[in-house]
Formats: sequence, C-alpha cells, structure tokens
Amino acid sequence: MLLVVLVAAMSFMPADKITVKGSDTMVILSQKWAEVYMKKNSNVSVQVTGGGSGTGISALINGSTDIANSSRPMKKTEMEKLKQRYNTLGVEIPCAKDGITVYVHSSNPVNELTLKQISDIFAGRVTNWKQVGGPDTEIKLYGRENSSGTYVFFKDNVVKTDYAANCQTLPGTAAVVNAVKKDKFGIGYGGAAYAAGVKHVKVKKDAKSPAYEPTPENVKKNLYPISRYLYMYTRNRPTGSMKAFIDWILSPEGQKMVTEVGYFPVK
Amino acid sequence: MAKIFTLILFVLLVNTVTMAQQPTDTIKEKLSEMNDRLSGLDERMLVTETDVAKHNKIKISGYIQSQWEQTENPKDYPSSSISIRRARLKVAYETSEGVKFVVQPDFLPSGVSLKDAYVTLNDRWTKRFSLTAGLFNRPNYEVEYSSSQREVPERSDVIRALYPGERALGAKLEYTPINIPLKVQLALLNGNDYLTYAGGNNSNKDYDNFKDIMARATYSVKLGNLGGLDFGAHAYFGNVKANAAQVVKGDYTFDQDIEIGESLKRSWFGAEMQVYLDLLGGLAVKGEYLTGANILPGSKVSSTATSTSQIIRNDSLLITTNTTITNTTTPNLSTNFSGYYVYLIKNVGKKNQFAMRYDVYDPNGDISGSDIMATKKYETSESTSKTEQAINGTTLTTTTTKTTNKTSIKSGISDLAYSSLTFAWHYYFDDNIRVTLAYRMPVNETVGKDANGNSNLTSTYTVNGKTDFLDYSKVFPQNILTLRLQAKF
Repeated sequence: MLLVVLVAAMSFMPADKITVKGSDTMVILSQKWAEVYMKKNSNVSVQVTGGGSGTGISALINGSTDIANSSRPMKKTEMEKLKQRYNTLGVEIPCAKDGITVYVHSSNPVNELTLKQISDIFAGRVTNWKQVGGPDTEIKLYGRENSSGTYVFFKDNVVKTDYAANCQTLPGTAAVVNAVKKDKFGIGYGGAAYAAGVKHVKVKKDAKSPAYEPTPENVKKNLYPISRYLYMYTRNRPTGSMKAFIDWILSPEGQKMVTEVGYFPVK
Repeated sequence: MAKIFTLILFVLLVNTVTMAQQPTDTIKEKLSEMNDRLSGLDERMLVTETDVAKHNKIKISGYIQSQWEQTENPKDYPSSSISIRRARLKVAYETSEGVKFVVQPDFLPSGVSLKDAYVTLNDRWTKRFSLTAGLFNRPNYEVEYSSSQREVPERSDVIRALYPGERALGAKLEYTPINIPLKVQLALLNGNDYLTYAGGNNSNKDYDNFKDIMARATYSVKLGNLGGLDFGAHAYFGNVKANAAQVVKGDYTFDQDIEIGESLKRSWFGAEMQVYLDLLGGLAVKGEYLTGANILPGSKVSSTATSTSQIIRNDSLLITTNTTITNTTTPNLSTNFSGYYVYLIKNVGKKNQFAMRYDVYDPNGDISGSDIMATKKYETSESTSKTEQAINGTTLTTTTTKTTNKTSIKSGISDLAYSSLTFAWHYYFDDNIRVTLAYRMPVNETVGKDANGNSNLTSTYTVNGKTDFLDYSKVFPQNILTLRLQAKF
C-alpha cells in the first residue's frame, strides 16, 4: 500500500522545467536535443521556441527564459542590460559551428562569389546577375528579420553596411530557402542545415583566393570564410538540471546530433 | 454518303475542340485575374512594409516612480508624503544612416521639465566615433546609470553636489573601438547647468564665456568564469565667472583679489570600478572616489538709504541730505573636496535583489567640524564719506554720502561632511514592475561647543508655527524610509 502511494506521489512529482528560446537557425537542432534528452530524463521538461537570437536574448534579460539560443555573440548593449538587471555578464556556451550558406536557384549559372561580391549584392551596389558572371537579369534578394542572429552576423561580417532596401525579410531560414527555390534569380543566406533543394554558392575571400563550399571539413578547418559559432547563453553559471542538460549537449552524444542536423560539432 | 459522314464528323470535331477551349480560356482568364490581384497585393504589402519600417525606427520608452516617504528630520514637514518622484517619457528616432534623435521630458505635478534633448551622429566610416550635441548626461558612471535601474532611490551626495540635474548643455565625442572593450568620452559643456548661486543661470544658455571640459575613459576585463571588472577614470576642468573681487580659501582666509568677470578655475578627478561576480547568482561591487577643487562664486548686494532734513536758521534754509550706501559682498569661495561611494548588490533568485550603499561627501576638506563656527569667517569692512555743499540764495544744501563696503563669508552648514548608509530590497514583479523598500541613514559631521556649552552651529526652523533649531554639535535623526513602485516600459 505504501509502495503504491509512493509511486503515485512520484508520478506527480513536478518535473524540472527548462525553457530555451531564441535562434531560428538553432531551433531544429535544439528541439532535437530536447526530444532525445527528455526521453532519457523523464523528470526533466525542456521547452524550445524560436523567435530569433535577439528575441531569445531579450527573454534571457527579462527572465522569461533559462537558456537563450543565439547564432551571434551577445551585443555590448545586451550585456550591459544583463549587468544592470542581474549583475552578471552572462555565460556564453558555444554549442555548435555553422557555415552560413549563400543560396541561389539550382539553375543559376553562378557557382562562386567573393565576399566583396556578396557584400555588394546584399547592400544593393550590384543589382544585376551579369555583373557577377550570370544572366542579364535583376537580382532578387531574400533575407531575415532584424531580430535574427543570422541577419546580424551576416550584416556585421559580410555586408558590413545596411542591407539593400529591396531585400525581402522572411521569418526563418526555411522561408528563405523556399523563396530561392521558387525564384530563378533569387539569392539568400542562412544556416547550412536548411539548404536542401537550392545550390550552395562557393565563397572565396577575394578574387585570388580559392573558393570553398560550406562542407564540414572546410568549416572545421576554418577554410570556409563565413563560419560562426552557435551559442547558448545563460544568466549565471548553470547548476542542477540545466547544467546536466548543457553538459549532455556538449558531450559526444549531443554533438553527434549536431552533425545529424547539418551543423558542425564545436570541437 | 461518305463525304457527308466525313463532313458531319469534321463539324463535330471542330465543335468539340471549340467547347474544350472555352473552359481552358476561362481558367486562363481566372489565373490572369488572380495574378493581377496578387501583384496588387504585393504592391500594397510593399507600401505597408515601408510604413512599418519607418515606424519601427521610433522607439518610445519611459518609467513612472510613485513613492511614499517617511523622513525623521524634524524640520521636514510633512514628514510623510506620497509623491511622483519621476515620470519620464523618452522618444528616440534612429535613421538607418546612424543619426539618432532623443527627447526626454519629465512630467511631474509641479511641472514639466526637459531632461534630455540631443542628436547623436554615428560615424559611418570607421564605426568607432559618435558625436552628441544638446542636453545630455555628463560622462560619469553614476550619472549615466539610469534612475530606473539604480539600486537605491537616489544618487550619492558627492555626485548630486558636483553634477546637479545630471544633464548639461554641450557636445560630446565618444570613441568605442570595435574589438577592444574601451570607451573614451570627451565633452565640452557650458558647465553652469542647474547650479544655483547668485547670478547663476540654469536656463538654455551659458551665463559666462567659459566652457568646461570633461573626459572619461573606461575599460572592461573578463575575470574568466568568475565574472568581469570594469574600471575607469574621469576628469573635470572648468571655469566659473567671479562675481566678487576677492577669493577666500576653504579655511576662510584670504586667497587673492580678482577682477569681477574673470575666471575661477575648478577641477577634479574621479576613479571608478565595477566588479561583477557570478557567485550564487549575480553579485556586484561598485565604487567611485572623487577629489578636487570646487568654486562657489560670490555675490554683491547693494542697498541705499537716504534721509533728508530741513531747518531754518537765521532766515536761511538749511537742507541736509544723508545717503548711506551699503555694499555687501560675499567673496568667491574655493574649497578642496572629496567624496566616494561603494555599492554592494546581490541578486536573490530571479525576482529579488538586495542593495547596500555607503557614501561620503566632504564639501570642504580645508576645515574640520571642530573649526566650523560663527567666528570662523572672513570679514572686511571699510567706509568712506563725502560731503558736498551748495548755496542757492539763502538755501544751503549739504549732501553727505557714506559708503560702506562689507565683505563677509562665514563657515556653516555647507561645510559639513555627510556619510550615509542606504539599504534597499527590490522585488521584480516582472520586467516592467519593480517594488522597492529602502532606508537611508545620513549622518552629519558634528561641530564643537563654546565655553558655555552651546553648540557652535545651529539652524532654526519653523513647523506649524513652532520654532525650533537643529543642533549640529550632535548627530540628529535624518533617516528616510522610501517605498517605491516603478512601472517601466
């Protein structure tokens, strides 16, 4: 009788709840982590939502999430807000590597671009495919919303100025890929994990450098010019069930799933 | 027969093809119509997106602080009051070209005032510089730290004395390198904002030709997994117009003569540090020390009294006019000051925070409490007299003008040092609402007593018709309890 009561009580024991919010680039990976982890740890509930890196970090600052996924480093202004509210600098945990892929339609004859050409295209300085060795047609730009870490990273590291006014903003890398798939003259950017059904443009640092595809080998060796870390941020050093979850993500088992989703392990 | 049959078959075939064409034509028409509608929707979406993008550049934020305060100082009446401490609305507009406009009024029942009104131009080329012009916060840690975030209700005494109102009119250049955690600020200011002294002007214009310079540099260092350290220093170099012809030192001895309108220099230095530690949740220790020379410009007040008498003597009319002119001058006072504050802030879980601050401000380090008394003063007096006579027929007019020039300044309450200990507890209901309970305990520097046992310094006050006095030979109750509700958006 006592055993029954104990078992019944334990089944109603509240599960540890961990909320994860942020990067749309990482949402599939994060959901997979959560799914597998919860199967192995039934007393832990992990809730994952997207919304963009900026949204995730804002949620970390206002206390509505435990972990913020981010595809870009935290900005100085965000760290200041975290300092003011929680008196910490936050904890940055690189959990995967990503090569930002530049997508074009599979029928587009352009196979490689320099970083400067990509910058010129997305800044609106180059508007016709013929200027970069393609057909004589207008270039259609597809990009992300400004709450996206991918948007910020691409802008800070590739475009280095404001995006062209005619760059369409889409909610998520999957939407960018879909748009480029349907547009012969379209060009977009996003995480490597989503690039199915479109062509990956090879990227070279400058006109004299070799061009590289965003393959695991090239990203691992830092040959591919547009690679970045994907991060998890916490307010304080993780403890308890959150630490166990993060430790598992960084373990060989967790990192194996990074490769399965199409990103690259952090080590 | 075969020909007729073939003809009929041909006619039937043509008819069938024609009939099949009609649904296809209808579908094509409908598709074309849908395409046109979609194009129209696309155009409207583009216009809407453009409008939304414009509105997204306007950011409106603000906060209201309502509070109840109970003070123990006997001269404060009412000692218990509910008030709105701050009600700020900040409107910022940032163009994509890196130009930012900010306006922040403060709405209080007593009136509306302007806290911020400035334009910031961000350097588009190196992305390292920004130029701000208008009314903005002076470059200092506690000044720039928003009142909506500060862990105790009010800034420290030294900061409030040196930077009253926090804001100043001027221009500021900031340098922030991209990959180096360094920030350098250089500001050129009017320097007289919010200073209330005789002849001072705190409106939208400088009151003298002299401009002040402030410079501040800060650097951040990571302490591995433990947290981080920010440290820096700032300097202030200023001038104030002399309003009197003498300068007196902080010990109330004569320093120098000066022309009215010449500049009186004031300068100070500050060193600051903030440590953030990830120990059982967030913990921060912050401090700043400031020291230097400050100036209180003097003033001159003139009064004239005239009396006239007439008598008849020996058939002659004698008119005597006596004019007394009294010029009372408060000399310019130059003092060496020092002050500091230390904060200890500890986050307790996600929603609670404890804060403690100890701050000290000595406005006049040239004099100690035991020196402060009515006889510790600088005083001079000189009189001149001039008599003129005029005869007009049988009328004799005698005019005597006596001019007395008094220069006087004495030690007093403004020379007293204060130390304060403040405790505060915050509860964050959510990101927008914070409730604060704070208790501040100021302690005044004490003065001596005379041979009869009377205090060397008192100040009289009247509350509800009753007059009493504050005795500065002892520490008297001045504690303040504050319960504040802040709503921020």
